[in-house]
Amino acid sequence: MKVQVLEWNAVASWHWDLKVDDSGVADELCGICRVPFDGTCPSCKYPGTDCPLILGDGCTHNFHLHCILKWLEQDTSKGLCPMCRQVFVYKRIKNMGTSEELHNLQVLIEGHKAMRERENEENEFDSFEDDVRMTD
Amino acid sequence: MSTPAKRRLMRDFKRMQQDAPSGVSASPLPDNVMTWNAVIIGPADTPFEDGTFKLVMQFDEQYPNKPPTVKFISEMFHPNVYASGELCLDILQNRWSPTYDVSSILTSIQSLLNDPNISSPANAEAANLYKEHRSQYIKRVRETVENSWNDDDDDDEEDDEDEDEDEDDANDK
Repeated sequence: MKVQVLEWNAVASWHWDLKVDDSGVADELCGICRVPFDGTCPSCKYPGTDCPLILGDGCTHNFHLHCILKWLEQDTSKGLCPMCRQVFVYKRIKNMGTSEELHNLQVLIEGHKAMRERENEENEFDSFEDDVRMTD
Repeated sequence: MSTPAKRRLMRDFKRMQQDAPSGVSASPLPDNVMTWNAVIIGPADTPFEDGTFKLVMQFDEQYPNKPPTVKFISEMFHPNVYASGELCLDILQNRWSPTYDVSSILTSIQSLLNDPNISSPANAEAANLYKEHRSQYIKRVRETVENSWNDDDDDDEEDDEDEDEDEDDANDK
């Protein structure tokens, strides 16, 4: 029998390339918006490169770019990971792009870092003052 | 209109329906997903046992990046609950994280009931009795437990003496 292909449709599926953590489990939901990573964050219409994953470096917690961005915009976040409260930094990945939002993320992280350093200095000064008072 | 905060609250609701933690329940108002009614059952083997304490949770568009305001509607006698029903709980203030949801907030409040934080009292009398006269403290708590069963009848919301003003304020919002 001879078959003639008249038409064909290619179908592809995609998945974020998530590193599995030590326990062997990769989180599949964004901890902030609770939407699967392969879905869209609440600020986006379509999943994909406009709404990339941000992988925690130091901690193993991952978030949609827009979700972690909105959290770090809050002063109260103090620049900490919402899951483990370690200072949040992200992994630089090849071909991550140079979107404005990625740049904003970097600016926020650096802003929080500067804020922490200033607070540390003030605390050192305060404890110095306390020492002086103690000896009075 | 759907907003990020509302979408997240719908996910919280789904989670509450699918696997609600034991002893707590909550659901949004039928016409407003930003306001929730919740009930916490007093944990067994504590003075709060069998109490049905009602709360209101008010969310804004900043949720989950900002915590909701949570407030007891039932009369409470607890070192960390103000007379107005508002709570003094770190995770609802400076220790908030956007990974918390309705279910985890209510579980935290539930565990606060029998594990008060005496160092930052919101109700000085309750804190003192808790420290110095535990049996009197328990007696006062048991009274609120019994009162919590009658809350259902207060459709006109006029049974509590001095707390009316605060409750009215919340209703205005």
